[in-house]
Amino acid sequence: MSELKPTNHKADLLLEAVAEGHVAEVLAMENVAGCATTFDPGWEVDPFGGVASLCQPMEADLYGCSDPCWWPAQVPDTMSTYPNWDAGKPSAAGDWRDLDSVFPKK
Amino acid sequence: MLSARIGGAWATCAALAVFSFATSRAAAGDLIVTGAKPDRLFIIDAPTRSVRSEIHIPGANGMVSVILISPDQKLAYVLVDRMERVVGIDLATGAEFFRADLSTPDERIKSFFSLALTPDGKELIVYELPTKLLSSEYVIEEPRFAVFRTDAGMLAKPVRSFPAPRRVHMLLMRPSGQSFYAVGFDLYEYDVKSGKLLGTRGIQKWALADHSQPDLLAFWPVTEPSGVWTSPVYSELKKGSESVPMTALMSLDVKSGALSFADFEPLSALIFSTVLSPDRTHAYGVYTSLSSIDVAGHRLEKRVPLDHTFYDINLSSDGREIFIGGTECDVGFYDAKTLDKKAILKLPGCADQSVSTLRVIHGR
Repeated sequence: MSELKPTNHKADLLLEAVAEGHVAEVLAMENVAGCATTFDPGWEVDPFGGVASLCQPMEADLYGCSDPCWWPAQVPDTMSTYPNWDAGKPSAAGDWRDLDSVFPKK
Repeated sequence: MLSARIGGAWATCAALAVFSFATSRAAAGDLIVTGAKPDRLFIIDAPTRSVRSEIHIPGANGMVSVILISPDQKLAYVLVDRMERVVGIDLATGAEFFRADLSTPDERIKSFFSLALTPDGKELIVYELPTKLLSSEYVIEEPRFAVFRTDAGMLAKPVRSFPAPRRVHMLLMRPSGQSFYAVGFDLYEYDVKSGKLLGTRGIQKWALADHSQPDLLAFWPVTEPSGVWTSPVYSELKKGSESVPMTALMSLDVKSGALSFADFEPLSALIFSTVLSPDRTHAYGVYTSLSSIDVAGHRLEKRVPLDHTFYDINLSSDGREIFIGGTECDVGFYDAKTLDKKAILKLPGCADQSVSTLRVIHGR
């Protein structure tokens, strides 16, 4: 931390809290973005190190991941951030062509 | 894309595609209840594999998840609207009679798959994850259990609330109605009236010799076939200098409180959810395959591939037929003894069931 210099008031407060040992306990981001309670390692690899045991087809699992925000880095989070991503597309397998990529808002 | 190649009807989304009626049907009078995007609740007559009614849930907002059936089997309570609303639906008329909007303009509240209904049907317990939405920051608040009266109508507000642990993903009411279980990193039991924590038993902190910390995925509160909730649990069993990935069956008798974990196979296939047969001799599990487990023998009995991945599994009241659902738009009917496929019902409109619960109302 000694190499970092605060550039705003909040950063000042953080350094002050660190110095005084008052930094609050880090809480799991269970719901700050309406997001996952899991820390599963990845979307692409199954527990055996391959892909044969992933959900098949992947579309069967797609809304089961976006609805509860299971893989927020890989699948749009329809719980809070992109609630309309699947609007008008009730079947992932039938509507996959219309499911667009998403980009964080600036 | 396996299922697209196997099932031609899959791509056409036919309203009803029944493959075979060669073997015995589900117990007479059994009804299956499932949800689908964006706002559907389907009631299916199990013996005839036909949709009896299709209900539109107002304000579902694209997501239908946990479904609870009232003790008199006439009502359903459904978690919708991105986990921010619970609605009560009259299954005979489709009318909405109860609504609890959890969030307010300055507080976002999600209920992560966690609802329970008291046995008298009068109170609904909802696990709430609140976040204060301030102008420049979000403040994570402490989770809580909120209790609603089910006769509160369309603007239901909690009549009481009490502190809850973090990371809860399912609630199970005990038949006495005096307490309920909260399933999370561990298994908690709370008094319904006072909110007092009555006990904690280990899941992540289990005490199985030579086993690693376990992992489970469980948000399907299905107990109707046997009064026992079950789930696959994964861990590593230490054998000498090596460890072997194992799959165990976790069983919780919600009446007696008996809790057990028992390995039944080295991890060879994933299972999302399981259900215990009425005679408690077999458990059945589903993922991209359908598995039958000999409970007393602690062994996998049989496994057959499925057309695609399914999340949910349930049983007919006589235990002779397996119902599977969730994920896509089809509900599967399988013989519990042979695991043979008996029929596939395509839901009208072929919308994904996604994470909706598959419930069974037993015939009388």
